[in-house]
Amino acid sequence: MIVDALAFAADGLVDALDAAGIDRAVVCPPRARGHGYDVENDRVASLVSAYPERLAGFARVDPLAPGAAAEVERARGLGLRGLFLHPWEDSFRITDPAVDRVVDGAPVLVAAGYPWVSEGLQVGELARRHPETTFVATNGAQINISGLGQVDAQLALEENPNLHVQTTGVYREDFLEGIVERLGAERLLFASGFPRFDPRLELLRVQWAPAIGAEAAAAILGGNAERLLLS
Amino acid sequence: MIIDAHLHVDDIPALGWQLAAADCVARLDEAGIERGVVMTIVDAPEVNPDALELIADACAAFPGRLEAFARIHPWYGDRSLGLLERALGELGFKGLKLHPVTTIAHPSGEDTLRLIRAAAEHNAPTLFHCGDEPLTTPLAVARAAEACPQATIILGHMGGYFHVDEAIEAAERHPNLVLETSAMPYPAKIREAVDRIGAERVLYASDGPACSPRIEVEKVRLAGLDPAAERLVLGENAARLLAAVA
Repeated sequence: MIVDALAFAADGLVDALDAAGIDRAVVCPPRARGHGYDVENDRVASLVSAYPERLAGFARVDPLAPGAAAEVERARGLGLRGLFLHPWEDSFRITDPAVDRVVDGAPVLVAAGYPWVSEGLQVGELARRHPETTFVATNGAQINISGLGQVDAQLALEENPNLHVQTTGVYREDFLEGIVERLGAERLLFASGFPRFDPRLELLRVQWAPAIGAEAAAAILGGNAERLLLS
Repeated sequence: MIIDAHLHVDDIPALGWQLAAADCVARLDEAGIERGVVMTIVDAPEVNPDALELIADACAAFPGRLEAFARIHPWYGDRSLGLLERALGELGFKGLKLHPVTTIAHPSGEDTLRLIRAAAEHNAPTLFHCGDEPLTTPLAVARAAEACPQATIILGHMGGYFHVDEAIEAAERHPNLVLETSAMPYPAKIREAVDRIGAERVLYASDGPACSPRIEVEKVRLAGLDPAAERLVLGENAARLLAAVA
């Protein structure tokens, strides 16, 4: 079973999952424009109800917006299982105290590696404040084409056992393999990042990595997401 | 025939990175790639005064498989220029590599332009790291392309994660810019680049061996180019650039 640990509610999502052979996906709202996240969370809940066997929904809020914590609670009532935060698109620092007020114990996905707002160590600091909460950082927590964020991402992972990272867009195979070798395959989750990223390519980062064995690959491609995000 | 236009050979204990020529060749073999272009991670003359020899030795160990680009720090004036001349002359290197993140030398600085122009005298291209960091963005490197219209300048990573559209736009404005696909994660942007600037100016590379040449080739295939364009991107363009160096 292949589980995509992060795709966005966009046209063509289910077709893209089919084309890549992905069984299930965690689906999150794209950036809200011209309205609040209540509208987007409702849309994700509707999409999930149309494909209940394929999709699991996560809510999205802007923690600095009025009523953010109430929207998290409302979204939980819609059946959305966790929270997605995008500090870059929604203009907040992941270590801002307002973020603490929307972390409610459910798993939290963080768009990570963005300069100034969601660097690896900043996401690690959030995870440190909430040791009982599962955090999953996108893009290896270091979306940098020079590899400059790798060490901070590794430090954050070493220091916070409740922090995990996704494989999306991580071109450095040795970074992914190093996490498996040093911290265990349970810390790594495949995610497609659809529609910005191409699910067919993103799968290969796990499936073709020479040092990731079959058992580890099964965990990264689906088992970890089932345990951490869907249970 | 596939040529990988960007691989690394180096030995950096401080980072724990040991990238051997044999690793590069093994990864090329795994991906069915005939030849690769190798360069160091650090620069000559600092922090490694022997960086050119390291690459020359790597290529000599695998004749016919590896070609060399010289990674040179622009700040050392005549010494930098001398290293480049030695690389492109006596040592048979095929290009210049500049990584402004490691040198903090702006692409349009006079010391950098001097090296680019010297490389162009040999018909040798200059490969820039071109990503999301200051000093490396497409708009920064495009100033070097504008100042050196006679030079072929390759935008390695074609803008990284967030500057890809600007890389394509810069290449539309400057016919001496070439877009290089390594690490950049969007297959659809390779297709868009080919449609907008032509397949002759899009170049496959992997940034291996720590990145997978096999996956990077598959990324180009996922772009869905027509067969002639795909051949240009995967090998013919690199063969043409390498053969032109004198």
